[in-house]
Amino acid sequence: MSIDEPGIYCLLGRNGAGKTTLLKSIAGYQNITNGRIQVDGKVITTSTLDIGVSYIENFAKHFNLPVRKLLKIASEVNPNYDYDFASEMMERFELDGKKKFNHLSLGMKTMVSTIICLASNNRVVLLDEPVLGFDAIMRVEFYDMLTESFRKHPRIIIVSTHIIEEIAKTIQKLIIIDQGSVRFFDTLQSVETKAFSISGLQKDVEAATQNLNVIGQDTVGGLVTTYIFDNPPERTASLDIHPLSLQDFFIQMVGHKGGAAR
Amino acid sequence: MNAVFAIVKRLLASNKISFIMTALVVLCATSSGDVVLSNGNYTWLLAVMTPFFFVFYDYTKLMHLGASKRDYFIGCLISYSVLALGISLANTLIHLLIDPLYPAQAVLNMMDVCKWTENGIFIAGVQQTFFLLQVMIFLHVLLSMQPHWYGWLTDTIFIAIICVFTPIPALRRILSGFFQIIMLNRNAVLHICISLLLSAALSFAGLCVLKRKTL
Repeated sequence: MSIDEPGIYCLLGRNGAGKTTLLKSIAGYQNITNGRIQVDGKVITTSTLDIGVSYIENFAKHFNLPVRKLLKIASEVNPNYDYDFASEMMERFELDGKKKFNHLSLGMKTMVSTIICLASNNRVVLLDEPVLGFDAIMRVEFYDMLTESFRKHPRIIIVSTHIIEEIAKTIQKLIIIDQGSVRFFDTLQSVETKAFSISGLQKDVEAATQNLNVIGQDTVGGLVTTYIFDNPPERTASLDIHPLSLQDFFIQMVGHKGGAAR
Repeated sequence: MNAVFAIVKRLLASNKISFIMTALVVLCATSSGDVVLSNGNYTWLLAVMTPFFFVFYDYTKLMHLGASKRDYFIGCLISYSVLALGISLANTLIHLLIDPLYPAQAVLNMMDVCKWTENGIFIAGVQQTFFLLQVMIFLHVLLSMQPHWYGWLTDTIFIAIICVFTPIPALRRILSGFFQIIMLNRNAVLHICISLLLSAALSFAGLCVLKRKTL
């Protein structure tokens, strides 16, 4: 997988799929057992002392200092830091600058971590489940912040999340990983134009999807629903063809384990 | 370089507990009899406690603030140097100003025990600074290794060396000779050179450990 263009990328995967491992490895906080990671042509391992990649994990621990001071220290230890952006975000999200980090709610703590990470201005920013603990309003604000940060400083931002539909408006590309390997890496547009469900009688569906890239199948009684990632077949009276939502597409890509038989 | 100094500032600021505990022990410790321990000796506690905070408390938090591993490492070395100088200065001042006030016949200060004061108080202070720097870097490396198998292996080797070398007279002489060189050394130039060399070697080891450190 090669990410060449600046953009907001969404990293999806089931629990334990390896999202955090991948992000930590890109940030040089964990070594990989196979393959190679390069950022700007530089091979990344834990030995790389100055990587230029910002990574923030959920539940990241910080010094128990007032938020404003924490942002200030972050600006001091990171030469590329955009302190004005961090302050602006702090005001917008109504974070009490005088409140100590440990006294913040889980959502606010995550917000502080995210602001610190986004304000770092590094060429690669990795956010590991940043919306964990956010209420619906905070999530919307977070997506706005992400868009604004990207508009101000275009770079590669990879966000891992489980709340798929919400982030769809914000992202350009989608990365789906499963069992430690990349299952899908393409634009959202390709999902919109190629991911479909085709329902009908088994023989009709099988005939229609014969040479297509089938990613999943459900059978209820005599009715079959096949999920494809390909150009859809011609519409006929015997077939129901619907575009897949992002969440359904994700489920079909990685939902082979557990649950109902497919 | 600004980032490194910001890290130094943060490392020292977040080391409050060590400062307070050391200060309490130095101020409150008492001993009686004809031969007493100088309260200045307890300033060394700061050198022992500080690496724990730098390694186990500050590292992750500084990384989350966006500091680089390189800056963290340089920041730690500068902080250890500053603290070594500060501790040495405090102990030297206590030795000069407080120790003579004791009613006891003899007041044992580590600078005397280590024979550093034979070269004059100023040289003793310098020797003490380099020795403490070496101790702090040694502890930093040892503590950094603890989450890894090689940390446990190093601990085992140290324990084995002490257990095997202490009861056997010939080996005990080797062990004693080693401590004579790195600690109980009246030859200031040799002592400072050895301390600097060991500090450099330990720093290199610390860098290797840091390169394997995960988050």
